[in-house]
Amino acid sequence: MSERVQTVAVVGRDAPVWLAAAAVQRALGRTGVTVRVVEQETRLADVDVYAAVPSIASMHRLLGLDERLILQVCNGVPMVAQRFSNWAKGAPPYFVAYDDEPPPGGDLPFTQYWTKGMLEGLRVGLEEFSLGTACARLNAVPVPPSEPAPLSASYGYHLDAPRYAELAKQLALRLGAQAAPAGLRNVDVEGDRIAGIDLADGTRIAADLYIDASGAEARLIGNLAGAGFEPWSDWLPCDRLLTASAPRLPNLPAFSQISAFKSGWVGLFPLQDRTALVAAYSSGAIGDAEVVELASVISRMPVGGDAVVSELRPGMQQRPWIGNCVAVGQAAIALDPIDALDIHTTHGCISHLMTLFPATAGEFPEADAYNRSIGAFGTNLRDFQAAHYCLNRRFDDPFWDRVRDTAMPPGLKRKVDMFDARALVPLTDEESFYEQGWSGLLLGCGVIPKGYDPRVDGLPDEAHIQKVQDRLRGVAAIARQMPPVEQFLGLDHAVPAQVSGQA
Amino acid sequence: MNTLRDIVIVGGGTAGWMAAGALAKCVGTQQHRITLIESEEIGTVGVGESTIPPIQLFNKLLGIDEDEFVRETNATFKLGIEFVDWRHVGHNYFHNFGLLGADLRTGISFIQYWLRWAQAGGDPDQLRFSAEAEAARLGKFGRTPPSQAGNQPNVNYAFQFDASTYAAYLRRYSERRGVVRKEGKVVNVRQDSETGCIEAVDMADGSGVRGDFFIDCSGFRGLLIEQVYKAGFEDWSQWLPNDRAAAVPAERMADPTPFTLARAREAGWQWRIPLQHRTGNGYVFCSSYISDDEATARLMESLGQSALADPKVLRFKAGRRKAHWVKNVLALGLSSGFLEPLESTSIHLVQAAITKFLDYFPQREPDPILVDRFNDEMRFQYETIRDFIIAHYKVTEREDTEFWRYCKHMNIPDTLAEKIELFMMRGEVKPRWADIFSEVSWFAILYGQGLVPTGHHPLADAMSEDDLELTLSRIRSAIRQRVDGLPSHADFIRSCCAARPVTTAA
Repeated sequence: MSERVQTVAVVGRDAPVWLAAAAVQRALGRTGVTVRVVEQETRLADVDVYAAVPSIASMHRLLGLDERLILQVCNGVPMVAQRFSNWAKGAPPYFVAYDDEPPPGGDLPFTQYWTKGMLEGLRVGLEEFSLGTACARLNAVPVPPSEPAPLSASYGYHLDAPRYAELAKQLALRLGAQAAPAGLRNVDVEGDRIAGIDLADGTRIAADLYIDASGAEARLIGNLAGAGFEPWSDWLPCDRLLTASAPRLPNLPAFSQISAFKSGWVGLFPLQDRTALVAAYSSGAIGDAEVVELASVISRMPVGGDAVVSELRPGMQQRPWIGNCVAVGQAAIALDPIDALDIHTTHGCISHLMTLFPATAGEFPEADAYNRSIGAFGTNLRDFQAAHYCLNRRFDDPFWDRVRDTAMPPGLKRKVDMFDARALVPLTDEESFYEQGWSGLLLGCGVIPKGYDPRVDGLPDEAHIQKVQDRLRGVAAIARQMPPVEQFLGLDHAVPAQVSGQA
Repeated sequence: MNTLRDIVIVGGGTAGWMAAGALAKCVGTQQHRITLIESEEIGTVGVGESTIPPIQLFNKLLGIDEDEFVRETNATFKLGIEFVDWRHVGHNYFHNFGLLGADLRTGISFIQYWLRWAQAGGDPDQLRFSAEAEAARLGKFGRTPPSQAGNQPNVNYAFQFDASTYAAYLRRYSERRGVVRKEGKVVNVRQDSETGCIEAVDMADGSGVRGDFFIDCSGFRGLLIEQVYKAGFEDWSQWLPNDRAAAVPAERMADPTPFTLARAREAGWQWRIPLQHRTGNGYVFCSSYISDDEATARLMESLGQSALADPKVLRFKAGRRKAHWVKNVLALGLSSGFLEPLESTSIHLVQAAITKFLDYFPQREPDPILVDRFNDEMRFQYETIRDFIIAHYKVTEREDTEFWRYCKHMNIPDTLAEKIELFMMRGEVKPRWADIFSEVSWFAILYGQGLVPTGHHPLADAMSEDDLELTLSRIRSAIRQRVDGLPSHADFIRSCCAARPVTTAA
């Protein structure tokens, strides 16, 4: 009979390697599992930013990281939504916010009531009924209600990436993860297993389980027999990233601004001390220098000379767990930076790994379950991102025409078709976004439902109107009570004492 | 087709009247006309029915008063199923409803902590951590509203009832809400020559019933879904070879048990479903291994109570209709597929199909996108229940008859093989999102059938020995307190939901 997993080696860089190490160490350190980290050279530049959807907060709770500390150390700003402009010529911008789903088993989704209203002439968009969007417009932060409320929303963060990675490193080391004495020289592979890791100083590390957190490089998993990478460039066509800094915005917004241009998009991510700028584009369609110029024009800000470019290759490992090696984060699922899913991907992989953490070293029958779950998880995230691209309405820009004319991935097609028919979102296993997230996105992308659930007709017209008005008023009233970003961050000098009093 | 207005349910019985009730409540008869056609000449398969806890949601959807429902259907409460002779002759185990232990909020299931404890020499009877199993053992039952729960565990339950009175009860419910029942047999079906949709059915008396949408509750033959649309049948008898059941009602048990009994037999298994007024019994068997006469004889000689009628033999085949919804026809109940009643899932499948149908209820002609999705979801439901039932036969030590030798050595679907492999290693199967059976149910069956996991989740080791002992003993005493506070099943029924002693024709 095989033995328990006693030693774990985590190989990789930046936030993912330390988050993975911290998670394993915190959960299993006291059972005698040792975690050794082989840190690779960073791929982060000073200008980099981590934009993270709200799931990051639950990861921090699990790791015992305090929100105030993170925001302070990483010059963080809460991200209540993302605002998308110019994805359809002539259409107004739309928000993707993070409204909490109502508890299951209750009323029909509000989208159904809204759709009936819309089909009968209601002129107010669905996003007016989203608490997250209302807060974003007011630059307010939807702090969680003290007791369960019918309407609530969550927020993620914009964080300075190098600082966040350093914070994760300090956390992992404090928890007891051990940093290897030297960098990676060689990965010793035997077929579909890793035999050991050779370090630059000649030491060799052998472990029962290896975690690949090397990012898109997929340094471990990519070299194992049976590995295969499935590219997603048909639907996520940007292959190059440019990252730079712009001055801090005088009045901090509570959202990221994502603006499409003829060969890609430019995102602005407010931080406390600067504004991070990321452009994703197709290298075949535009040069780096032109992007810098364009970014400056689109953002209406001087874009610094600190710009850094890197390559992007969206896709995923067909088998993110092979033999004794488990890939997490971008090493498993490499996404486009749109929709702020980088940390979310890392977190999702880590939490699946913890759920399936092998009972014994050796054969690892858990791998199939992990590969199936991560496959579904990655595909659903890809579909969410692909919606922006596939459903764009920037006609006559060749870059945008091509992706619009490409057949959608089947899961996205099903969601689009059912939303179009009935305002329904067919959810599957391992979804990260639910009814409201998808509805907001699809409507923003111009998918307007033609029908709704006939049970809505069970409500008499007056009651229907009342319901819609109540929700509209409710959202506005709650949003008005929420603290503005600067007050939330304690940057509001008028009332500094209150915030420190809370901490 | 313009707005969908006329809905015709072809066939009564449990499925037909469940559909009628749900449609009457959720869609209403103000703007829709709901007609149910049934013939008193065609018997229904109604035997004692045993259910699983999600039926509470169906009752809630209909807004029916549970006590009234229990009274009117001669129902008893059900905390699980006792399986006798399944692992080997002389062995028994219990499939408990509800939780095992408590949610410790550590990200892993209580089962994992229990496994660690049992693997280190703790009591191998996991059911000491199930309030339902403990109550069932003692013949107790009570409702435990969440507000009163405190630290004590809730008691989850389903019902055992008389299927024919259930149909009659739902008929009264539906007719009060404007559903029209039409007596007679369907002799002809008319289709639109262009779309192929069904337009009307003709009755034996010469009248016709026009409809915009039809629900086929005609039983195995699938009058519309199969005879008109040739949807096809996916045969699962290689995994579930039982194809007949001999059924007979017997006198009531002096003290009806709050659980169903499933006893494995030489060529199948035998059920005992205790109701308030009688006891349902049946022997589900495979005709390749035992004759009708012999199976009937085995059944009759093993009744605990005297029979109230002559036994009947029913025939069926395990499998599902390849499409559950075609054009403007939805198949429900037996016309949609059949899985033996081992885990009491028949009514659940009807309920699941109705709730999904309501989600996709068409305003006009059915949208193929919604129809495809519906069929996908139903296929998944049938397949997961199929796998769960197969596990009872495959995972066994029995090889004492040809039937059991076949079952023990048959090939099984990959989906199930993967679950069993994972379970052996770590006591969990990782059910999918839409699976109706949870880890607790899978654990009860696989462990009960004799699979003992060799390992457990490493996170369970993160708790200190002392904490684990303390946690287990706290949970155990909360369960004991809960069960101590429950009345006997019989007293509970007497106190609020006893059926009228003499049953009159409905």
